[in-house]
Amino acid sequence: MSLAHAPLERGETLARVERPNIWAVVFERELRDLWTGGRALVMCFAFSLLLSVIAYLVATNTDLNFLEQRESVSLTLQVAIAVGALLALLVAGDAISGERERGTLETMLLTPAPRRQIAAGKLLAALSLWLAAFVVTVPYVWRLGHGVGIVAEALAVGLVVGTLLAIFLASLGIVISVFSGSNRFSLSLSLFVLLALFAPSQLPSSAEQGWAGNLLIRFNPVTAGEHFVGRIVVNGHSWSEDASWLVSPVLAAVIFAVLAPVVAGRYMSLRGGVSE
Amino acid sequence: MTPVVEARGIAKLYGSLVAVDDLTVAVEAGEVLGILGPNGAGKTTAVRMLTTILAPSRGSFSVAGIPHTRPEEIRSRIGVLPESAGYPGGQTGEQYLTYHARLYGYPRGRAGEIARSLLDELGLLERGRSPISAYSRGMRQRLGIARALVNEPVAVFLDEPTLGLDPAGQRQVLRHVRTIARERGAAVLLSTHLLNEVEENCSNVLILNRGRVVAEGTVSDVVSRAAAPRRLRLQVAPEETDRATLVLAALPAVQQVELSESQTGWLAVELAAPGDANGGGPAPNDVLRALLDAGLALRSFELDGTRLSDAFLAMTGAV
Amino acid sequence: MMRGRAVTALIALGAVLALAAAVHAASSPAGISATVDRARISTDLGSTFAFRSTIVNHGPAADGVIAHLNIVSLNGDVYVDPEDWSTHRTRYLGSVRAGGAQTITWRLKAVSSGSFGVYVAVLRRGGADRPPITAPLVAVHVAGRTTLNAGGILSVALVVPACIGLFTLGLRLRRRRA
Repeated sequence: MSLAHAPLERGETLARVERPNIWAVVFERELRDLWTGGRALVMCFAFSLLLSVIAYLVATNTDLNFLEQRESVSLTLQVAIAVGALLALLVAGDAISGERERGTLETMLLTPAPRRQIAAGKLLAALSLWLAAFVVTVPYVWRLGHGVGIVAEALAVGLVVGTLLAIFLASLGIVISVFSGSNRFSLSLSLFVLLALFAPSQLPSSAEQGWAGNLLIRFNPVTAGEHFVGRIVVNGHSWSEDASWLVSPVLAAVIFAVLAPVVAGRYMSLRGGVSE
Repeated sequence: MTPVVEARGIAKLYGSLVAVDDLTVAVEAGEVLGILGPNGAGKTTAVRMLTTILAPSRGSFSVAGIPHTRPEEIRSRIGVLPESAGYPGGQTGEQYLTYHARLYGYPRGRAGEIARSLLDELGLLERGRSPISAYSRGMRQRLGIARALVNEPVAVFLDEPTLGLDPAGQRQVLRHVRTIARERGAAVLLSTHLLNEVEENCSNVLILNRGRVVAEGTVSDVVSRAAAPRRLRLQVAPEETDRATLVLAALPAVQQVELSESQTGWLAVELAAPGDANGGGPAPNDVLRALLDAGLALRSFELDGTRLSDAFLAMTGAV
Repeated sequence: MMRGRAVTALIALGAVLALAAAVHAASSPAGISATVDRARISTDLGSTFAFRSTIVNHGPAADGVIAHLNIVSLNGDVYVDPEDWSTHRTRYLGSVRAGGAQTITWRLKAVSSGSFGVYVAVLRRGGADRPPITAPLVAVHVAGRTTLNAGGILSVALVVPACIGLFTLGLRLRRRRA
């Protein structure tokens, strides 16, 4: 005799039960674990400290001219985008390989929950780190951009570029996590990829003039996004004027956002990267 | 009756390494099958194949009539307690069970009811709102069993459920195992290396060694088929040990008699196996009768070799 | 005889005037002039301002007319990068018919404070012998203002981390107690 709670008749399949969207269930659970568990809040706290230091340093010159003030806003925004996307990448990089190491992946794989929906829920939860970082950035940009009329535009361009880059990097983190045998490898590889993507931004401006340099800067979604932010915030260009810089961030976000659940559906297993 | 779990010749190969070979098993509703084997025998691999975590390299199996080619459907009908299951320390027991019930497709409210009901059944209701990080090992195992039951499974797979538990914890867990089979009517597959667990709780046993099935059937069938050597230890008066040795050595059912050096008056008698050309009939009876007929007073005796442990050791070559 | 000398003198004068006109025409792009609608502009740092320049062709039809905007610091105490002030500094007007005029609106953003001169130069493509002409200078005075001070950002730099930190701590204590 089964228990009093027995929700199903013997033999009744769960197909007849009203199914919640699994990705929403996973998303809600991951969100709770991240935020009520305190891990995400600690990251946000560290991020706010970093922003405070940077914002204070750029603002200590009280004779900032208009353009320098725009550059201060641009710098703060770009730091926020870089670190916010990094946080999303780190959380996503831990999503599957971390569960594997903590021994909780097997119980999840034993449920009928589709693996791609599990990955989608975890991806969305990772993106919450970027959104939180953006919210933390708002008062700094408001304060730095106050008086030169660029706050709204800077926040808008920061939100768009940051969201595209966060989607791209978090999705990439999920893919890395699926294939990584250990969490340490997953996080190391994620960080390496991020550094490699940011590295071209350190090239001297002369290197960007040639066709190869220009192609590299435009093809790389991170550097393309940085350039777009700079042109809007510092140079005062219109969005349509520099829309071509958004092509690679948009493509990267769309391609990897689709790829991550597909890869997870095919390759998520107890051992990294092996379809068993 | 159609078996709930049925496997035919399933195998798992990793290149040239054979983890499991030609496993054929059938488990019916309400039955508890013990899967025994030393470390590395392939028990966990077998369980992972039957629970769709690993795809078999060959062979086929079904659960509740659902073929292994439809793993998502199978997963909706089974419950599993993996060997090395981890638990999210930051969640409470109730949150953990509710979450898993929702992963099986239950709406939020119903999932909560299921969670509380299972916590009550497994004796965890009072601690249901405590974080799992505060649970003892035994409590976590019971939580794992509860998690394996959220979807009212027709088959429950328990991989080393008593691992790391004290005797009281082991008894508690095994009691729940028997309840699952008896009251829920589920087919239970209990993978363990603890022989007494199988002896006391399982109706059938399957012994694996190096990926291959070396014995299967009821416990008594397996023991009798194992042809385990039997030993008899008996105690006589110290001054009568020589005479007892002569009497015993003359019996056809006795293969060897040894005087214990550490315990005065104790003799170890190795008996021939049933059906052996040298003996026949109930050998221990012959031994006792012979001693009594010779006027020797028997102070004590013990009979070894009738336990599953002996059959297991003999079959897995660990003697 | 007197009448003949007067006619000759008139013809000579006309020739001289024509020659002078021709010389004047050579020193300006085919009789083009440029004017502006404002001589002085006062604005604040960061504000956008505008003025109009009108290019009139007093001579025959002119092709390839180009108007170009430039900005210079009048005191020499501020570095000026014209591209920062306006991204559309060059206008290709094409042909201006004889007697025709074109008016251009120039929009600039005051990116530095101080005194500046803004002027429009008009030239013709391929006009090596036609030096450009300029419209009158527009004197622009940009008032500086303290738009940012370290004390202002300090409050944000302290309050935001403090709020997040306290919230995080509170949550952890609450979980520990629970």
